[in-house]
Amino acid sequence: MQPNWVLKEDEAIELLALLITSARIQMDEPAHYGPLRLLTATERLSSLIEARSSQKSRGFLQDNIERIPEMHMLMSDVEAYTEGLDALCRAVAECLLRHSALENES
Amino acid sequence: MSEALRNIKTRRVVREMSGEAVEREQIEAILEAARWAPSGGNLRPNRYIVIEDEETRRLLRLVAPGMFQRAPVLILICTNWQVVAQHHLPAQDRALLIDIGTAAQTMMLAAHALGLASGPVTSYSKEAVRVILNLPAHYSPEMFICIGHKAETARPGMRAWQPITWRDLTHWERFAT
Repeated sequence: MQPNWVLKEDEAIELLALLITSARIQMDEPAHYGPLRLLTATERLSSLIEARSSQKSRGFLQDNIERIPEMHMLMSDVEAYTEGLDALCRAVAECLLRHSALENES
Repeated sequence: MSEALRNIKTRRVVREMSGEAVEREQIEAILEAARWAPSGGNLRPNRYIVIEDEETRRLLRLVAPGMFQRAPVLILICTNWQVVAQHHLPAQDRALLIDIGTAAQTMMLAAHALGLASGPVTSYSKEAVRVILNLPAHYSPEMFICIGHKAETARPGMRAWQPITWRDLTHWERFAT
């Protein structure tokens, strides 16, 4: 059976470049830029896989990841930014459940 | 208010740009403005690299996590270390950083005056940029200025960390003893 690839090799390399260069520049940047870089990588990965993602994931990608650029604007409001990250964590947990056997058991 | 002051006060960093092209004459006008930016000792150690090629811009974005813009034009401000050495400036001389700042701000104001959007980017891997652009060893990549047109759907810029006026930034005369 053919694997259900959602990422091409070129796309994976693009993501690797983002992660590696983010790691390097984080050495020179304020600590609070760390979440920003991780979210940028999240957004990039989402944009690459969305078209080939399954129904289980698509709602999560469309409803949550597309809000990330708005979250960047909230960086100066630590409380709102943290709240946004928590909401994203809840959404990804729900997505994980949809992909797991646990969801079918309940 | 004078046109110059209005230009200064209405310029914003733009992180979302449309794909609309920038005219060659406009790019040249921005570079001409940068030529008139203040430079310590008038030594002019900066060099500018203009990148319009689509694939080169794509590769640069991939190694620049801070480059959210999909700008049709990138101007990379470089320090030419041959000029620095020629004038016996120490490498850590802060005038070198100030020169980058004055050039960057002058270019962004010029872009705004021309009806264009702009934004600076310093979050990138210098080594990766060096490889992609095949930079000469005596050039160091200091700052990108993204130039383009603001996207109609662009969101507002990052909120200020706290409300601020010029008075908050200013102290008059000597500090009290």
